[in-house]
Amino acid sequence: MARRRRLRATLSSLAVATAFAGTAAAHSGSLRGATQESLAVPTWLFLLTGGGAVGASFLLASFVTDRRFVEQLHAWHRSLPTPGRFVTRAARLAAVGVLLSTVAFGFVAPDEQLRNLAILVVWVAWWGGFVASTYLLGNAWPALNPVRALADALPSLDRPYPERLGAWPSVAALLALVWIEVVSPLADDPRLLATVVLVYTLVTVGGAVVVGAERWFTSVDPLSRAFRYYGHVAPIQRTDDGLRLRLPGAALPETAVSGRDEVAFVVALLFVTTYDGFVATGLWATIARTVAGVGVPPTLIYLGAYLGGFVLFLGAFRWAARDARRRAESYLTPEYLARRFAPSLLAIAAGYHLAHNLGSVLLLSPTLVAVATSPLSPPLNPPQLAGLPGWFGGLELAFVLVGHLLAVWVAHATAYDAFPGRLQAVRSQYAVTLVMVLYTMTSLWIVSEPYVPPPFIAT
Amino acid sequence: MTRTDVDTDVPADAEAHVCSYCGRPFAREKYLVLHRGLAHPDDVSDGERDAYERAYAEEQADIDRFRIVALGVLVVIYFGFLFAYAVFAA
Ligand SMILES: [Zn+2]
Repeated sequence: MARRRRLRATLSSLAVATAFAGTAAAHSGSLRGATQESLAVPTWLFLLTGGGAVGASFLLASFVTDRRFVEQLHAWHRSLPTPGRFVTRAARLAAVGVLLSTVAFGFVAPDEQLRNLAILVVWVAWWGGFVASTYLLGNAWPALNPVRALADALPSLDRPYPERLGAWPSVAALLALVWIEVVSPLADDPRLLATVVLVYTLVTVGGAVVVGAERWFTSVDPLSRAFRYYGHVAPIQRTDDGLRLRLPGAALPETAVSGRDEVAFVVALLFVTTYDGFVATGLWATIARTVAGVGVPPTLIYLGAYLGGFVLFLGAFRWAARDARRRAESYLTPEYLARRFAPSLLAIAAGYHLAHNLGSVLLLSPTLVAVATSPLSPPLNPPQLAGLPGWFGGLELAFVLVGHLLAVWVAHATAYDAFPGRLQAVRSQYAVTLVMVLYTMTSLWIVSEPYVPPPFIAT
Repeated sequence: MTRTDVDTDVPADAEAHVCSYCGRPFAREKYLVLHRGLAHPDDVSDGERDAYERAYAEEQADIDRFRIVALGVLVVIYFGFLFAYAVFAA
């Protein structure tokens, strides 16, 4: 991700300056430095291996043909104690405190990336740490959401929400938020970050007052929806009978999203991370400079690639759903199949998110603690981890791959549930698997490319 | 689970085998037979259950054939990569 890499670029240069040159040099080459060049594997073979692993795992999954085994695996669960009312109240109150102090310190604390609490809380604690917890543990956002706490405290006008809009406003809002993140120095500029958080809070509270908090956070708010979807991947699931422990991803095959709009949201969730990484590659720098050379405004180039890429992703997924209907000789509609198979993509998005953020979270957690203890006069050089071991790059690649493997399995289990014939189920997965193989290779290529500042917008 | 609550669309000129319990259409009779056994195990007649068990066993033979092909492809992938790494990875 541009932001993560920007944070990490800062990290590496700091580390070099403070005589951690060895570790930093080993790490600043990014993932490829740690894994690929040391083995001297050509890029095409490295990418093909990733794609091959996904394709092979599809074939291996197809060997599991015992329906009862698949169902038992996915039905396995244990009950967990539900936290009491007092604990959830206290947690929510604390979250409101974190939100308000983030905005406040964003404006008044030192105007430096790694010495400002707002930057560290938003990007390290929240986007890196909390978001990872939504798919690794369970989605605690409905309990914590500080903006919802503010909205709940206000009266509601309860104006009717236009039903025909469905989830589209959240798709647009997600695309807009990530767009702001890509084209502005949101990870470097505490004042700008605090402004964006404040505007988001005001818009959200305002919307919740107009159509009612429940409606707003279910339909319109992109963050609540994103975390809810990530939460479907997690082992801890909330049910009517309290919290349940399940196998990771086990809830996905029974999770059908409800329409084209929600399919578009899942695809957008996957696409935005890809775009964020893609604009920081050398290939994009060349393309953008070339197109700008003939007189196209840079913003238009970025926006065109953004919307065009999203439509391309959506088109590829819809094509896979249509192909599944044809090959499985099924009368299920392509829209229905897209709704059933979309949740498997969430496992990929989760793996991708973890690969991109875990490094920054580990490196900067000492910084967060140091700055949080004295936000107004933080240490001049806040501490951070000296570096991560060389094998950490391999671990990041493993997260990307594990996400894809889980997605292949989820799609297999979903197909078993959707089609009565087991060979039908296998055949329905050919196009889906092909799309996943191509997507794996694309994302591995992006994470293995050295960071190139996006032209025209890099700060 | 979700085997009966589905959206379907039968092409105008296509024949459909429709489930008498839930109305879901299928392109082939064997899919309908399998569906009845999987989605309505408590409602089917003895004859329908026998038909389901026969279809499930027949399907197993097709699956065994598919497995042989899949195994072959896996072997090709494995040795393909073994060869590629031996030649191109220094
Ligand atoms: Zn039926």
